[in-house]
Amino acid sequence: MIALHWPSVRGRARADAGPLLLVAVVVAVVALLAGATPPVLRATSDEATRDAVRRAADDAAVRVEADWPDDYGPTGGRQRAPLLAQDVASLGHLAQDDLSPELQAALQTPVTTVSSISMAVTDGSVQRRLQLEYLRRGDGGDPRVTWVAGKAPGPSTSDDSIEIPLNGAPWPIHVGVSEAEAAALGVRPGDRIPVQDDRRTPYDVRVSGIFRPVDPGDPAWRLVPWLLQPAANRDGLGSTRFGGLLSDESLPDARLAFRSDQLRRGVRFDADPDKLTWASAQNLADSVATLKGLSAVSAERDTSLKWATQLDSVLRDLRNQIATATPQASVLLLALLAGALLVVSLAADLLTRRRTTALATARQRGAALPALAAELAVESVAVTVPAAAIGLALAAVLTGSASLIWVLPFVVLAIAAGPAFGTLAAARATRDKRAPANRSARRWARRTVRLRRAAIDAAVVLLAVGALVALRQRGIETGLASAAPALGALAVSLLLVRLLPPATGAVLRLSLRSRRSLGLFAAARAAATSSRMLPALAVTTAIALASFAVTLQATTDRGLSDGAWQAVGADARLTVGLEASGSTADIATRVAAAPGVEAAVPARVVESERFIADSTSIVARLIVVDTAAFRRLLAGTPLPGLPAPAGLTAADGDTVPALVRTGDGSLRPGLDFRLPLQTNSAIQMAAIGVAPAIGTGEDVIVVDVAAAKAAGLDWEPDTVWATGSGAAAAIRATGADGRLVTRAEVAEDRRTAPLTEGLVRLYVIAAVTLLALGLLGFALAAAAGAPERWETLARLRTLGLRPRDTHRVAAGELLPVAVVAAVSGPLLGALLAWLTLGPLALNVLTGQVAVPVTVVPWWTVELVTVGALAAVLLAVVGGESVVRRKRRLGDVLRVSS
Amino acid sequence: MTSALLTVRGVSRTFGSGPAAVHALSDVSFEVEPGTMVALVGRSGSGKTTLLNVIGGLDRPDSGTVTVDGLEVTGLDEDGLSQLRRDKVSYVFQTFGLIPVLSAAENVGVPLRLARAEPAERERRVGLLLDLVGLADHAQQRPGELSGGQQQRVAIARALAASPRLLVADEPTGQLDAETGLAVMGLLRGVVESEGVTAVVATHDPVMMALADRVIRISDGRVLT
Repeated sequence: MIALHWPSVRGRARADAGPLLLVAVVVAVVALLAGATPPVLRATSDEATRDAVRRAADDAAVRVEADWPDDYGPTGGRQRAPLLAQDVASLGHLAQDDLSPELQAALQTPVTTVSSISMAVTDGSVQRRLQLEYLRRGDGGDPRVTWVAGKAPGPSTSDDSIEIPLNGAPWPIHVGVSEAEAAALGVRPGDRIPVQDDRRTPYDVRVSGIFRPVDPGDPAWRLVPWLLQPAANRDGLGSTRFGGLLSDESLPDARLAFRSDQLRRGVRFDADPDKLTWASAQNLADSVATLKGLSAVSAERDTSLKWATQLDSVLRDLRNQIATATPQASVLLLALLAGALLVVSLAADLLTRRRTTALATARQRGAALPALAAELAVESVAVTVPAAAIGLALAAVLTGSASLIWVLPFVVLAIAAGPAFGTLAAARATRDKRAPANRSARRWARRTVRLRRAAIDAAVVLLAVGALVALRQRGIETGLASAAPALGALAVSLLLVRLLPPATGAVLRLSLRSRRSLGLFAAARAAATSSRMLPALAVTTAIALASFAVTLQATTDRGLSDGAWQAVGADARLTVGLEASGSTADIATRVAAAPGVEAAVPARVVESERFIADSTSIVARLIVVDTAAFRRLLAGTPLPGLPAPAGLTAADGDTVPALVRTGDGSLRPGLDFRLPLQTNSAIQMAAIGVAPAIGTGEDVIVVDVAAAKAAGLDWEPDTVWATGSGAAAAIRATGADGRLVTRAEVAEDRRTAPLTEGLVRLYVIAAVTLLALGLLGFALAAAAGAPERWETLARLRTLGLRPRDTHRVAAGELLPVAVVAAVSGPLLGALLAWLTLGPLALNVLTGQVAVPVTVVPWWTVELVTVGALAAVLLAVVGGESVVRRKRRLGDVLRVSS
Repeated sequence: MTSALLTVRGVSRTFGSGPAAVHALSDVSFEVEPGTMVALVGRSGSGKTTLLNVIGGLDRPDSGTVTVDGLEVTGLDEDGLSQLRRDKVSYVFQTFGLIPVLSAAENVGVPLRLARAEPAERERRVGLLLDLVGLADHAQQRPGELSGGQQQRVAIARALAASPRLLVADEPTGQLDAETGLAVMGLLRGVVESEGVTAVVATHDPVMMALADRVIRISDGRVLT
């Protein structure tokens, strides 16, 4: 039974209340951060899930289609089905029954639709199309309308079950049209809309009435917006689609009027982002995959359900992002915990130094080591556990819950640090181990110590190298790999710290040659304290890891900006409709002339064009552009420049020269390839240079517009790239119809994505906390050496050193740790970031094709580090000086004696 | 005008206040002639160290004056005291107080560096002093490589480096065995004679008392003889 001496426990705690409080604060802060991060990450993942589904919109919808059953009548014709609307409604019920409970919970009320093919309106207009639609919500209702003229579409016949011949005249269909569309089409109730399909088969579509939606915001309308307003480019660029609304009564006539493959019925379930969490999304992804697995093949002509959705792919992309973000958070947390643990160890070292005499006395008076260890452990538990509990409680208050997974190991180690240091000091102070009498034995003992140190160093370095290798080879999923930056910082700092004694020794030797006494005293003090490994190790490691976090933040920030440049290709990009493509060049000219625009270039961009090289199909982004103008535009951007190999603009009409870039290297300069055309012919192309990475894909092919035209690719431009602060405004001012994308919006969208925003916040918090830990470590190291420093300064003052010169000597003593941390910390942080950026896969978050370029904000890092360390150094020296002034020299020497 | 090198007049020093106040020195007065060695003896807590600190300007008395070589120590500011310690008063402590990373020679040279002595003059003086204390062969050894007695001899050499007028030694043999202590005492006696230094040595050691020219006994902060 270990007997504790409670008065000693209380006395030590009272005497060292300050350092103990400091330990408590560090533990509480770390517990707060480490306890809050997992729930915050979970909440951020949930928000990212909702955000991804919200942004995916149509892609996240789950759609199901089913072919019609045969409608042949007894005489071989097609028989009208008066209850077809009920059959269509039952499709919605059938579909819902197939959904797993997870999917049902995550999806909104379905909307059942019946859609005809898009037909050309043959009223002499250009590219007007009409599509008939039937809408029914899963709850049984349909989007309500008010008939402002005419009436709702009715049946075309009074014979509900009439059978019509297969090749008879077009069967009349009654539809309603919205007010806007009626005005655009110039139709009134009772009019016919002349339409035909792409085989020029005419259809008899009659307007029964003109409607006004009761609630234009009804989600059902969103599925078929062309029912309310003419929709541009739905049937190819330049087209305008109109819609005709079918009713329960006119739906059977539409079924008769179209072939089965011309009228599609389906059900659409929109995902409800608000019901999603990251955990439920993972089950959802499995459910969707299962559903798609069970789906009938779409090419099959039967009534079975054919499911289609991109929800699983949206969730898969999200999973990749979260799979990238989660380990990044772990890396930062481990860095934080490593820094905090070193600082807690420094605090334990400080406590032990303050107590060495008392512990040695207690030991000499008969206290057993286990009893001393138990007393120190009681104190450590009493300080650490409540502090951790406070940190966790704060985390729970701030985030709704707190995680113990990172906190527990840290708290256990923090509890152990004080007793371990104290017990070791007590054992050392009282062990009967005398220095060997003869010189060779002393040398042998020194070698043994050095060997032991080297073994420890080698073990740490090997562990760090192993972690880095694991990280680079297997990615960041393994536990050891997550610790690679922390271990790397620790190992390199350890090696640097080992160099401190010889370095300060060299400075001391130089100082001895100098006549400056202050430099010598400072160098002597620095050399005397340089063998204390922990202070420099803790400060350098913490600063290095803070720099690592800052580098990640700066790299992500720059990556987001570069990614936006890549995605847009300029400050603004306008993609125009085909009907306006003839004026694209004019738009570009007008934009280029606008104020605030540096350059504007028209181009034809085909996102996924298929090329053939050596019988291999390659899908790449094709850019047909005036390469000289494009080169000038790119020169004003951070994007890579456009090379100008000889012959790029050669327009001989036989072979089109091209700049190429493919992720797998399948196309490279020197290779010939071809662009197949719909006419079963192909255009020969020759890769003569490397294309810059423009766009979100890795595969890009750039050809000059003149060369393309000479080869028969006379495509009108459909894209305008513009640079300059006024680019977006200039494009808007042209009033051109099309999709405008600005770099600033893309960058902002990506920057405000929950995962990216959350991680960047974590980088900043980690950097600030680690810097604070580094500074605290520096202050603790100074405090631990203060008594010895005071005594030496007091001795020097007895020799005639002036009081004001003691500041310089004290600063000189502390300077090596500050210099090592300020110089090597940022360098080491940058090195770690450079080594780990690839495996950390920051580009998944920045939206870049390749690993982002490492960005080290040297000035910020160095200024902050040097400024903060200098401030702490001056504060420590100044503070000590004030305290020293209050004590008589005699008192200091009396105590030290 | 007195011929005494050290004059202590009515010096009192009290630590703390109220009932807990400790009167370390009470109206202490004495004089020490140049070139003499004075042993300051008394029980632990009698006020020896406080008196030495006041003499050397490490502590200020509540009242009274101390004059060293005609300079009133109690009237000096911190810079003046630094100058005093650089030029006129040196200390030898029980715990040696050497700089561990410097060799014996370098430690001895520290006061000369503070006095901005020329390197050649410094080396000459250091060699002389190490020879005087019998450590010429150990000049390049660091304190950790020297015995306690050798360290104290280095400390004495260092104290003499700047040719002080007054050497203040507080229990210089307190951490040494009897034989080594005797050697150090002999050394102190020797340097007083050879260097013409005045020494005030606080000690419990009767041998040192025997070697001293004069013994001042102090008890409860008062000088008895």
